[in-house]
Amino acid sequence: MKQPSGGNIRTWGSRYVFLCGSVLALLGLSLLYGEAHPYSFLTLTNLPGIVCRVIFDAFLAVSAVALIFKLMHWKDYSRTFWKQPGVVKASCTAFLPVACGCVLTLIDRGLLRLIYTIRLCAQLESNPKTFGSSMIYMSLKGKDMLFTGIWTTVRIALLGTGIAFVLAIFMVFLRIQTPDKRDNDAVKALKWLASHFASFYVFVIRGTPMMVQALIFYYFGFNLFKKTNMTVTEINHVWSFFISGLCTVSLNSTAYLTEVLRGGILAVDRGQTEAARSLGMTNWQTMLKVVFPQAVKNSIPAIGNEFIINIKDSSVLSVIGVMDLMYATKSISGIYFRSLEIYCVAAILYLILTWLSSRLLQYLGKKLDTPVKGIPSSN
Amino acid sequence: MDECILKIEKLEKSFGDLQVLKGIDLEIRKGEVVCIIGASGSGKSTLLRCLNLLEEADAGNIWFDGQNLMDLSVNLNALRQKIGMVFQSFNLFNNKNVLDNCTLAPMTVRKIGKAQAEETAVRHLKQVGLEDFIYADSTRLSGGQKQRVAIARALCMEPEIMLFDEPTSALDPEIVGEVLDVMKELAREGMTMVVVTHEMAFAKEVSDRVVFMDQGIILEQGSPEEIFTRPKNDRTREFLTRYLEDKEA
Repeated sequence: MKQPSGGNIRTWGSRYVFLCGSVLALLGLSLLYGEAHPYSFLTLTNLPGIVCRVIFDAFLAVSAVALIFKLMHWKDYSRTFWKQPGVVKASCTAFLPVACGCVLTLIDRGLLRLIYTIRLCAQLESNPKTFGSSMIYMSLKGKDMLFTGIWTTVRIALLGTGIAFVLAIFMVFLRIQTPDKRDNDAVKALKWLASHFASFYVFVIRGTPMMVQALIFYYFGFNLFKKTNMTVTEINHVWSFFISGLCTVSLNSTAYLTEVLRGGILAVDRGQTEAARSLGMTNWQTMLKVVFPQAVKNSIPAIGNEFIINIKDSSVLSVIGVMDLMYATKSISGIYFRSLEIYCVAAILYLILTWLSSRLLQYLGKKLDTPVKGIPSSN
Repeated sequence: MDECILKIEKLEKSFGDLQVLKGIDLEIRKGEVVCIIGASGSGKSTLLRCLNLLEEADAGNIWFDGQNLMDLSVNLNALRQKIGMVFQSFNLFNNKNVLDNCTLAPMTVRKIGKAQAEETAVRHLKQVGLEDFIYADSTRLSGGQKQRVAIARALCMEPEIMLFDEPTSALDPEIVGEVLDVMKELAREGMTMVVVTHEMAFAKEVSDRVVFMDQGIILEQGSPEEIFTRPKNDRTREFLTRYLEDKEA
């Protein structure tokens, strides 16, 4: 009794071939008996459709007979006619047309149907009743908004993570200051202040929701500009939703990346610092030339994760009116009075964005020799 | 040979409640090779690390180059340039290749030009027999090669004294020799060296003076002959006997 091994179906033995083939045949049949559409090239009455049906039916019938044999000869099945090399080979060969037929029906009833529905929806004047059609209809009608939304989300995530990285380098430099007994009192005080300021910043940002931060930053900036006697239109131009949203994401990510970089620095072997110091390098030179390059390399996977997290978490910026993917979705749902359908579209779009980014990061990680895994959880 | 280059007075160091160094007095003369031996935990490595202040001693004086290293106002980085250190775990800079490991400190600390720093580095790498590995990734070398690069890196700063902290303890027995050979060559050239080691044969052959440490104090010191053939102290004798037994076993 061999277990299925590897991807080569020829080594599986006939019963697995029958089992898998039957599943495919049943799938194909159920699709074939389902509703046809104007683009279908397979129907129950035309020749290709009949050929597919006959193949599926025949395979199912033979499989059923094989199943009965298996049930009757549970122990000595391997000695029956079904286990002879010729029969095993024949069953494998028969599997091929079934798989082809199944793929064909999938193309016909899946892909072609989708294309047909999209074409149909493009011509519709009102929101269709069915779920899928409605998703397509609203996506098509709101495609400009969705594209703007995606572009804004990507820009905020990219720029936000980039700015945050630069700020985090500065912040982690403050964070790791430790007073040395060789410093004079002023330097000691400054170092203490720097390190405590950085840890307080991280504490506050990590301890509050980004949505609240977004609102605070926006109104703080707004009130600040108002003091300069600018009109609301002028303020909206300078302190736009996008700018304040970008600030929020940047400042928020700074806190997380500071901790990421600090972890990266702590992960660098103490011996590296000792060696550099023993050669007469100052603390600052050691940090800059030896420890920091290694720390950043250690942190690359986590920095990539922060980017993906920002794609997802920038959705909360829609509360202040940043025209990101979430805001676009909300607007479309408001226009067409359907929510579930368009939010599902948003979910799919976010998933595509994060999936693409994570593939890209994995590729970059491989190039830089730093492994990256999967889509990270939220902050 | 007579000029005293490093003088340690009443050096004390504790880690928490554990007093590791209990008043060490030691003088190192120019061109001298001093080996510090003793059981694990006797404070040998701590003593060595205190000499360039990788560990900060609690009390005592370390006189080097006319300055007291324990004085809080000395320019530590300037003094450290003149004290080379070789570590048990090599500690090559992982983000740099062999050549860059050797040129980093001369270029950043002594502000020497790239061309000149590289010339010096290549000279010292030849000296340790690694001229074929100049552009090699420092993480891909064998232990013996790494330690030889580490020695070359320290030499590039043209130190007045070299400290070796168990330089062969992390190496497997077959390649200990290649590192010891480099050290012997250095000793022949007249480098002042302080070596914490478990290689008794090396200590016997190369050193001018052997220091035996036990439980944070220097129990006995003298020429290799005195220590290895006629140790005065019972504890020294016991240590050496057991050590030789272990070697034979």
